[in-house]
Amino acid sequence: MKTTWKSRLSSSLFALPYTLCFAAFMLFPIGYGIYISLHDFELLSQEHPFVGLSNYIAIFTSGTYENALFFNGLWVTIQFVLFSVPLLILVGLGIALLVNALPRRIRGLFRTFYFMPYAISASVMAVIWLMMFDTNAGFLNSMLQQLGIASIPWLTDTPWVWISLIATTLWWTIGFNMIIFINALNEVPEDYYEAASIDGANAWSKFRHITLPSIRPVMLFVMITSTIASFNIYAQPFLLTRGGPGDTTRVLLMNVLDHAFIRKEVGSASAMAIMMALIIMVISVVQYRLTYGRKEGN
Amino acid sequence: MNKLRQTMLVALAVLLAAVFLLPLIWMLSTSLKNDFEALAGQMNFIPKKPTLDNYIQGLNGDLMNVPIMRWIMNSLSVGMIGTAIVLLIDSMAAYALARLSDMPFRKTLFSMFIASLMIPGVLTFLPMYMEFNGLGLINTYAALVLPYTAGAFGVFLLYQFFISFPKEIEEAARIDGANKWQIYARILLPASVSIMVTLGIFTFMGIYNDFVWPLYATTSPEMRTITAGIALMSQGSYTQAYGKLMAMTTIATLPVLIIFIAGQRSFVKAITQSAVK
Repeated sequence: MKTTWKSRLSSSLFALPYTLCFAAFMLFPIGYGIYISLHDFELLSQEHPFVGLSNYIAIFTSGTYENALFFNGLWVTIQFVLFSVPLLILVGLGIALLVNALPRRIRGLFRTFYFMPYAISASVMAVIWLMMFDTNAGFLNSMLQQLGIASIPWLTDTPWVWISLIATTLWWTIGFNMIIFINALNEVPEDYYEAASIDGANAWSKFRHITLPSIRPVMLFVMITSTIASFNIYAQPFLLTRGGPGDTTRVLLMNVLDHAFIRKEVGSASAMAIMMALIIMVISVVQYRLTYGRKEGN
Repeated sequence: MNKLRQTMLVALAVLLAAVFLLPLIWMLSTSLKNDFEALAGQMNFIPKKPTLDNYIQGLNGDLMNVPIMRWIMNSLSVGMIGTAIVLLIDSMAAYALARLSDMPFRKTLFSMFIASLMIPGVLTFLPMYMEFNGLGLINTYAALVLPYTAGAFGVFLLYQFFISFPKEIEEAARIDGANKWQIYARILLPASVSIMVTLGIFTFMGIYNDFVWPLYATTSPEMRTITAGIALMSQGSYTQAYGKLMAMTTIATLPVLIIFIAGQRSFVKAITQSAVK
């Protein structure tokens, strides 16, 4: 191919529009976010004095408002991650195994049923479940009443708030993990199972010794994406429990956005957002290392 | 024994499907009830007095005095414009990265784009808001479209497709005197219709369903997207007008549900592609 400056220019022009968008709405915001976090950036004020690292120092100084806001939110978020991620993986895999065990001609239908809630937006999901969980007129409590069981305060009392948040999260997003797992299961070579059958292996040992090792990279992918998604949880507590009861379900992202948009402290909120992003990235890398590091060790 | 096992599996699958579908069926059922019946706390899936009032009010624009049709139109237009832009600029960039080896900084740019897939959205959310605020673009269609154009997923997906496209066809066209633009527009694009549909569905659903950004990036009722609008309604004074709320959510869900079911195969492909990185 000719490598005249003209050719190089025309080649660059193809990549130019996307590169400009990338620079304006990805690179610039990252840099600008760091800049904002180093300033006392009050949303409505014209003056934004440079304050160095003090927004970060405040987060890590015990007793400050920022410290409480960040670490309380972080703790609530971590609880949600710990409760939800194992279920997102196990239930996702379980449903994938169920779908694959069905007669071939009805597989697609059931896959669609379980995947359908994934197509719904966060706010529609929340409104539907607000109605399902309604203490007096909700579907679930009406059902319990018919069975002679007392109403449950799904969205207003612990531990029910956690059960509600996790149940809605599973209902809404499990289809994604199921799809990934179905795809992975279908890629395990059929002859592995045939060979194992000849050796007299039962279903459990086939699952344990063939299926699990084969889908291990996909497990890691699902674990990382589920952890990231759960860390970013916002819509469910924001719309369903509004962080309650008290601050029990006030997750980190709620605190960061409220700090920026209600208290107008964008500088300090940006420092929190950057810390949160760093935590998410570190956890992803650690999960990756742990899984692959162990494999290399063997 | 095998027959029994099969029957039990199907029974389990049906039970599970009921759990997954019940909230959606209940939404539809409630949307056909008047507010009194919707709040009665009974489990009747078939309304005693079915009514289309909630929908008629919605289409007339006087459902709870909010411009719900305007919100739907906002979401549909923003979704379609955003998707069109993404398809165009991502395919051009992917073409340059995959096929035009004389492009300067090709490897550096590609690594940067791929690395950005690891960036959590929370890192860019506030500065993006401040950026649009500074440009005076909060509460405009630009704010509702532009942030989605920076995502690298489409570039990555199309890059993988273009890189495996046979070189011979391109060479033959070049010998016939076709320039880069012609090769892109007349050979690569027509060959990538199916992957573009996949990316298009994925992108459209992502934009249409996004809710946190439009919630903060819009401030006046007529600029809301349907997801932001519904979120605000669910927190407002109409919290328990379930019949009306459910009519609204049913209308909001219909477009994506149709696209989702019709394009499920493509959508699944986009998801599984993202997993085999």
